[in-house]
Amino acid sequence: MILALVVVTALGFDFTNGFHDTANAMATSIATRALRPKTAVALSGILNLIGAFLSVEVALTVSNAVVRIQNADGTPKESLTTDGGTALLLIVLAGLIGGIVWNLFTWLLGLPSSSSHALFGGLVGATIAGLGWAGVNWNGNGTKLDGVVGKVILPALISPVIAGVVAAVGTWLIYKATVGVAARFTENGFRWGQIGSASLVSLAHGTNDAQKTMGVITLALIAAGDWTDTKNIPFWVKAACAVAIALGTYLGGWRIIRTLGKGLVEIAPPQGMAAESSSAAVILASSHLGFALSTTHVATGSILGSGVGKPGAQVRWRVAGRMVATWLITLPAAAVVGALTWYLGNFVGGVAGAIVIFVLLLAAATGMWLRSRHAPVDHNNVNDEWEPVPASAPAPSEKVAL
Amino acid sequence: MSNFGFALEGAWKVLAAGLVLGAGLPVLFALGIRSLAWGADAAAPRPAGKALAYGLFAVVILGVLLGLTYIVASGFGKTISFDHFWPAIVDK
Repeated sequence: MILALVVVTALGFDFTNGFHDTANAMATSIATRALRPKTAVALSGILNLIGAFLSVEVALTVSNAVVRIQNADGTPKESLTTDGGTALLLIVLAGLIGGIVWNLFTWLLGLPSSSSHALFGGLVGATIAGLGWAGVNWNGNGTKLDGVVGKVILPALISPVIAGVVAAVGTWLIYKATVGVAARFTENGFRWGQIGSASLVSLAHGTNDAQKTMGVITLALIAAGDWTDTKNIPFWVKAACAVAIALGTYLGGWRIIRTLGKGLVEIAPPQGMAAESSSAAVILASSHLGFALSTTHVATGSILGSGVGKPGAQVRWRVAGRMVATWLITLPAAAVVGALTWYLGNFVGGVAGAIVIFVLLLAAATGMWLRSRHAPVDHNNVNDEWEPVPASAPAPSEKVAL
Repeated sequence: MSNFGFALEGAWKVLAAGLVLGAGLPVLFALGIRSLAWGADAAAPRPAGKALAYGLFAVVILGVLLGLTYIVASGFGKTISFDHFWPAIVDK
């Protein structure tokens, strides 16, 4: 029973992950009208689906980066599985709930925050609540980049800067290289350049992020004794995760797309291409070098950089500042939700506790969704001028279902 | 070495790769567009411009293919090695 709730909640997290991160790949193409909004999210959704199926490798040890609930080979710690895995399942469930709640809350505010930080934050919080401070892998063991500091905090500080520098240099050089070239050549060229680079980002996102949820679900299955193979993932888990992330991507977090595409910088096609190329290169190079990072931080850094690199472009630093503030509190905020959820679930106890926190999650999600209806953002008004906020925006029809 | 040291060590490599692939390739692409426009002069077409443009686009496409190969390979637990300069798919 608890296992079923964990699986459903993990798929829910995967869905919000896709939904939250559509903007990373597609905000620029939508803002420059290289692609129609619906086409962009459909393309990104399909590429995420393909990307998720491409991840044959097992990401079972995903939680080891931040918490100590698994052994090095991916099997759950024996101390947590004595009562049919309930102890571990409750930590994972509470952690996932922390991640989802924070993802939905930042979506409501239209802020691009990192889904992996939300997941890690939730797990850290639930682990502190369940196992104490020592259950968290803060600093690794000093032999490689690891732990909360090495896998989460340092990359979050460094990766947006790198992406920003790359995008700024790229933008500046692209403008230099195409000075005086007729618009009929640049428009079409940069359109394809943007679509190509954004597609790479989507594909890379599908392989990276869907894998995390697959790892979490498989961990839960092993803890509950329903799966024993640490080298493979059940096919239905892979298929379900791929579909969840693709659906989430397709529905599109329009609020976040709007902030990234219109809020930070007025993006022109050459900037869009420079930003997405920078994102793709930085994401792939980092993952090649085993440097964990968040797609969201990279994409935001790239878009900012493309604003810095274009002569005379305006960057809304106030919006950027709000985003950075959100990044800083993502991990602790998701951790607090995860911890409180664990305490509540543990207080009620057993299956009933898991049901109670699951119902609370549904209530919170519904509440935030209803709140979002007061000022809907969807594919119709995603590209409206950023300021002043259009008072006369046509009331869009119901499209962003959750 | 501390986490901080590892992070800095990784960071400059990512920055270097990012500048070459993430900024260099788009600039080649932009130069390709420029060359294409230069070659398509209505009065006196310059085939050399077109040829150069397609050459530059080809380099960019190779770069994109490298990225795609990496994504697919890493999904199968492989990675790309640059030990012999030419990319080769090897076990992780």
